[in-house]
Amino acid sequence: MEAIYAIWQRDVLKFFRDKARLIGSFAMPFMFLILFGSGMSGAIGSMMGGEAASGPLSDFNFVEFMFPGIIGMTVFNTAIFSALSVVQDREFGYLREILVSPMSRTSIAIGKVLGGSTVALFQGLMMLVFVPFIGVTITIPIILKLIPVMFLVAFAISSIGLLIATSLKTSQGFQMVIQVLIFPMLFLSGALFPLSGMPAWMDFLVKINPLTYSVDMFKKIILQPEQMEPALREAMGLNLSIFNHVITFSEEILVVAVLSIIFVLFATIRFNRAEA
Amino acid sequence: MGHIVEVSGLKKRYKKFEAVTGVDLQVEEGEIFGFLGPNGAGKSTTINMLSTIIKPSEGKASINGYDIVEEKNKVRASIGLIFQESTLDEKLTANENLLLHCKFYGVAKDKRKERIQEVLEIVDLTDKRANIVETFSGGMKRRLEIARGLLHYPRVLFLDEPTVGLDPQTRNHIWEYILRLKKKAGITIFLTTHYMDEAEICDRVAVMDQGKLIALDTPDQLKTNVGGDIIEVETENNQAAEALLEEMYSVEVTAAGQALTFQVDKGSEFLVKFVKEFDIPICTVNLRRPTLNDVFLTLTGREIREETVSGKDKMKHLKRGPH
Repeated sequence: MEAIYAIWQRDVLKFFRDKARLIGSFAMPFMFLILFGSGMSGAIGSMMGGEAASGPLSDFNFVEFMFPGIIGMTVFNTAIFSALSVVQDREFGYLREILVSPMSRTSIAIGKVLGGSTVALFQGLMMLVFVPFIGVTITIPIILKLIPVMFLVAFAISSIGLLIATSLKTSQGFQMVIQVLIFPMLFLSGALFPLSGMPAWMDFLVKINPLTYSVDMFKKIILQPEQMEPALREAMGLNLSIFNHVITFSEEILVVAVLSIIFVLFATIRFNRAEA
Repeated sequence: MGHIVEVSGLKKRYKKFEAVTGVDLQVEEGEIFGFLGPNGAGKSTTINMLSTIIKPSEGKASINGYDIVEEKNKVRASIGLIFQESTLDEKLTANENLLLHCKFYGVAKDKRKERIQEVLEIVDLTDKRANIVETFSGGMKRRLEIARGLLHYPRVLFLDEPTVGLDPQTRNHIWEYILRLKKKAGITIFLTTHYMDEAEICDRVAVMDQGKLIALDTPDQLKTNVGGDIIEVETENNQAAEALLEEMYSVEVTAAGQALTFQVDKGSEFLVKFVKEFDIPICTVNLRRPTLNDVFLTLTGREIREETVSGKDKMKHLKRGPH
């Protein structure tokens, strides 16, 4: 336990000490929300019929729609990149200090994943500073509901990161692999545009993407689709379904939880075989 | 049992070559044991096997009574390791590095502060404890690593080339700390080096070459085994001189660089006679007591230094910054 805590503590401590990284982490979400989001907002508005839009569709606010996706993106990015520290530790030698200690490899792996999840959780919560500028209402109960979900998602993604990091020797290699992985997963998750009216092959990819369910959970918590007009809900792509069964929030939790168990198991097994 | 480190028939094979071709040795408790040899002799590979970093291909070894394959974690708790390359977290302070180490090795909470103070005193870094390691000089980092290696009171401290890339003054300091340590903690020290003068400080030295131990004794005994005094001579025609020397005095001559080297029993007396009667003009002549370098030369026919200034070594000097 002490070992898990020590590994976790080191990552969290270093995260808060790195001011540049803290500030820099706002850049991407800011650009997506304000530049991309505001631009798209106008375009989508006019596609929906502009001023003459009928009834519920006039309520479609693209920036609002994107906000849960941006939170998802931030959590996802931070969690997966947290594993970069493993590769860097290898490059700078610190991994040896860790691996030759009597701590069990499993504790080290779990400490790393928990460290990454915690950092990603903080990073995701920091995105809430954008709330006043985009018109969504976030209440304390919503935040309390967001925290465990963010942590769960971050845990699953950090495990994927560790799995990849354990197999790679250089940071450049790691960054390459992550870039190649990150973009398709983001685009196919519904974070940046509504998942409606897609071609069948794309629909398939969306449904097997774990991020889809993560982003959908954030949407369900923040946008509260159950209070929306059905037509608007459909336009925002909030009726995620498989074989005509609309997936519920609890089912999504279950999917992500099962996935995170699988990923953390694989990552731990892989890490147990790592050479110092 | 009885020996703190016990090694028998230890081998390490890689796909293409055998890095260590069979090492047998015992180290006594409280001893400074040196591993001497050129780069690529298999010193680090042996240390890495003993410290459970890599798995031996064959053979057995135990440290503090624990098997290095079967009881890895117990071995790890019994040893301290200082690697050739720095393994500090440079973004953290000295104190944070030490505190993390305490947690990794399960040092009890109420003892941590006291221990950190103690090891920082040994290496004279008490006033630097709150500084970020990034700002430390190469020598300070090394000292901090030695301090860290001691935190969990290891029975054996492994030092892999502890002074490589450091300037002579810092090297001397590091040695002072190591000797102070031996006196104070009674700890067993197992180190590798390719510096002859450092090997002289050891209680016993194992000379390693091409994956094998070729000698193991006290530095004095090793030198005595070489026999007599060493004469180094440079002449105007080394080739002819070599043949003539062998003919006149039936000595075994080794050519190393510009000089011819050979051993004689009574150096001073020989020298007088030699200068008088030798036909080929002599440029310089030098008489000295044998050093460990001569031991290596006698055992392998090569000088240890020829191989030490390799590309890798130069890189290390560059990486550690100017002296």
